[in-house]
Amino acid sequence: MTEFQIPRNSLAWMLAAQVAVIAPHVPRLAPWIIVVCLGCGLWRIMVFLGRWSYPGRWTKVLFVLVGIIGVPIGYGRHFFQLEPAVALLIVAFVLKLLEMHHKRDAFIVIFLAYFVLTTEFLYSQTIPTSIYMGLVMAMITAALIGLNQTQGHLKPVHTFKLAGVLLGQSVPLMVVLFILFPRVGPLWTVPLQSQSARTGISDNMSPGDIASLTQSDELAFRVTFAGEVPPNSQLYWRGLVFSRYDGTSWSQARTGYGPTPVEWANNLNADWDSLIERRGKPVSYSVILEPTNQNWLFALPTPVPLTEGIGLVRDFRLYSLKPVQSRLRYEVVSFLDHRTERELSDYWRSRMTSLPQKGNPLSWRLATQLRGQSSSSEQFISRILLMFNVEEFTYTLKPPLLGEDEVDDFIMVTKRGFCEHFASSFVFMMRAAKIPARVVVGYQGGEFNPIGNYLAVHQFDAHAWAEVWIEGEGWRRVDPTSVVAPERIEDGLQAAVDDEQSFLEDSPLSWFKYSQTLWLTELRLQLSAIGHYWDAWIVGYNPTMQVRFLGQFMGEVNIKKIGITLFVTFGSVLLCIALLLLKKRKATPLDSVSREYLAFCGLMEKLGFGRQIGEGPIHYAERIGSHRPEMYKAVREVTDIYVDLNYSGRQDPQSDELKRAVRAFRLRLMAANV
Amino acid sequence: MSSITESTNESSRGEPRQSHRSENWLDRRLPPANSVTLSLRTVFILPTREGMIFALMLFVMVIAAINYQNSLIFSITFLLGSLFVVSILHTYRNLSGLTLSAGSTRAAFAGEDAEFSVIVSRQGDRTFEAIHLGWKDSMLRIVDLVDDEESKVRLYVGTSKRGILTPGRMLVQTFYPVGLFRAWSHVDLDMSTIVYPRPLFAGSVPPALGSSKEGDLLRREGVDDFIGLRDYQDGDGLRHIAWKSYARTHELFTKQFAAYMDRRVWLEWDYFRGMDRENRLSRLCYWVVQLAKSSDAYGLRLPGLEIAPASGTEHREEVLKALALFELE
Repeated sequence: MTEFQIPRNSLAWMLAAQVAVIAPHVPRLAPWIIVVCLGCGLWRIMVFLGRWSYPGRWTKVLFVLVGIIGVPIGYGRHFFQLEPAVALLIVAFVLKLLEMHHKRDAFIVIFLAYFVLTTEFLYSQTIPTSIYMGLVMAMITAALIGLNQTQGHLKPVHTFKLAGVLLGQSVPLMVVLFILFPRVGPLWTVPLQSQSARTGISDNMSPGDIASLTQSDELAFRVTFAGEVPPNSQLYWRGLVFSRYDGTSWSQARTGYGPTPVEWANNLNADWDSLIERRGKPVSYSVILEPTNQNWLFALPTPVPLTEGIGLVRDFRLYSLKPVQSRLRYEVVSFLDHRTERELSDYWRSRMTSLPQKGNPLSWRLATQLRGQSSSSEQFISRILLMFNVEEFTYTLKPPLLGEDEVDDFIMVTKRGFCEHFASSFVFMMRAAKIPARVVVGYQGGEFNPIGNYLAVHQFDAHAWAEVWIEGEGWRRVDPTSVVAPERIEDGLQAAVDDEQSFLEDSPLSWFKYSQTLWLTELRLQLSAIGHYWDAWIVGYNPTMQVRFLGQFMGEVNIKKIGITLFVTFGSVLLCIALLLLKKRKATPLDSVSREYLAFCGLMEKLGFGRQIGEGPIHYAERIGSHRPEMYKAVREVTDIYVDLNYSGRQDPQSDELKRAVRAFRLRLMAANV
Repeated sequence: MSSITESTNESSRGEPRQSHRSENWLDRRLPPANSVTLSLRTVFILPTREGMIFALMLFVMVIAAINYQNSLIFSITFLLGSLFVVSILHTYRNLSGLTLSAGSTRAAFAGEDAEFSVIVSRQGDRTFEAIHLGWKDSMLRIVDLVDDEESKVRLYVGTSKRGILTPGRMLVQTFYPVGLFRAWSHVDLDMSTIVYPRPLFAGSVPPALGSSKEGDLLRREGVDDFIGLRDYQDGDGLRHIAWKSYARTHELFTKQFAAYMDRRVWLEWDYFRGMDRENRLSRLCYWVVQLAKSSDAYGLRLPGLEIAPASGTEHREEVLKALALFELE
């Protein structure tokens, strides 16, 4: 049998698609895999040009071994995660390029290309990615079509267009399936993306951490409120509560919170739930959180989770059962007016006042001294805040480095710091004065997008503040930053650090740098709103959303209803496409000359002289004349004009000579009848 | 563009064996005719093996989409699934509306390939690509109808025994555009051709019977044999002047030559006594082929059949046809 020769058209698209489909994976691939990809592509081109031959059996075995052994070695302990699986798929894909002896092999290469294309969506689900992948899909489909065209077909653009047509016709059906295909939860757990470092709040805080986080303009989450958006000063998105301090950094308390650490959504019955006194009107909203690879979520105090898999923990913040690997949407109701933990047990009191015994002697002394001068803990709090406010404390994104006794250094010497410095030293002073206090980190504020009607919270909104326990009241939020830089709370970070021009200093091209340019801001808000709808409706279309969405149309949603609707809708759409594709082409519309002549024939037919099939105009006229000699002259006149116009090609077809003649004939006929 | 390429025979695989019943059913649905336009009723369509693999891949993708709860993987899977469904329409469309007509045929000797021309044509502006044509167990040809309205495809069918060859239903199929489905039809264009007996070596051609017998026709002014002298006429070649006679008689004579125009060969059934019918016919056929290369006239005598000696292409065909159809079972 002769070697299967893949059509050039197909090969060209296949190689182009190979490059296009692997390109987005490149940053995640080991360099040697990229070399293998390029090598295989080059080899295939050389085979096509006839310079090289396909690799021999042993070379192939060697390649496969390198792939099978190389990938696990390259990824080591991450082998059971997603990246090595994708890498193996890509290696298989490019190696298969070098083994296309039969048409079936070429099919396999194309199917693998479709598969590799899909995996990109595990990493990125943005609109640009989707558009790009749509194009790549058309390229792969062009390769598939080329494979079934004759060897002589050398119009790659035509093939690509056809691929576009095919995919375009598939889109309506895809939409039907997307909406109506019954969505279910995961069937089994799958290897996930390895824990790549993500920008975001981490589970411990040292001075400078949050300042460096605010250098990023990445989106943290978006919030859609059911009612009005609360004022900025209320938008404290609690993420983590730090109650352990080791002299440098703050971290979470290590031990759990008793028998039921988490109250899961719709099941608020832990014994400590009574510690929360929920008052006033609740604020209800839904959050779309960007992936964090962490379990903690963000919410306004005090939240009640409404979404499955999300719970409330003992320090009144939200917690996800699984790390947030992909964008997560959750519903929350928050009681902004609340009291928490009016009674604090001795155990907790000691935990919340513990400080390392060594270090920061000056701060210790200052705290003890000021506490002695204050009549109540509230007065003490005010004095500390007053100190931050009155003395030369500066809110800056570029705080100087602190020495070993960080709190001393900050309060007594540098007096320049970011929110974490203020929060940390404030809590230190509280604890030194035996007042229970803790650091809370999360985000503060957010940018309201009027187009999409949501609040966008970015990494530069990251913030740290304090919570102080007050006898008889419970935990109270105290934000020392608000006394140093009130504009941070009211107008956001950009306004607060406007003087030193340090906002997003490392990203000169960030959209947010140009908030002065109105149309740019408008454009950014618009794009951001489109992205929001995309994330909320397309990317976020999950079983819950489906039930909610379809419920609007079909009442109670069940699998039978969905199945029938899917079947009927899919069938009707398919029928429309089929009719469009297979309908017989309509005859070209008649020109005016033929139309007039046919009108004339119609007149004659009424008189009983129907034109017979295949009868020429002149014969027709003669036949009429033989029956009705008195009409012959008039009939012949019309016929002659028609024949002249239609067949000689001499006269201008636009001329209305025939029209006039037919009209005259009609009038004469009417006159005769009268 | 109208290009014709050859493909290896991929047709037989996956093709349902036709039982006698289905043949009857097909005859009713698509009766033999010289020209057939394919339609919904006469085109069949099923996924190819690649189509099955594709469907399997879609299944794996749906599982992945469910497990990763990834809407965009769902979208891609649904898009490919829709492509799968839409390609049914396109593949079907690439066959339906196509007109196939019987063209000329060319006879063959048993064992050789007989040629059948089929004319593929289209109406309107719908184009057809990569149409595979051919009879079962023979090489399929692939034809495009894009720029041309019609295309003539020469198809070859293997022969094994003499007689009339009716190749029966021809396979028309297409995998275009995506190869996930195969649309096909079996069309009987009511074509047939004659298959001559397989020529078998039979030694040299039997001697011409008549050259010495009386009544043989001579044609004048040949070059073979000297037959006499005649009076010189103006224009006769100098080489042919009988100079010896001139020396004797002082009169000019021209030498006359003649050729035996007809060596009438009779090909007799009885030459091959003791052989069976097919062997005799094959050997006679061999002689016919040999004799047809010369200008000799030859006749054929079979039991109950005699063809008078003659020569030329038409005579050759007549004789070969007689051999092909003689006592056909």
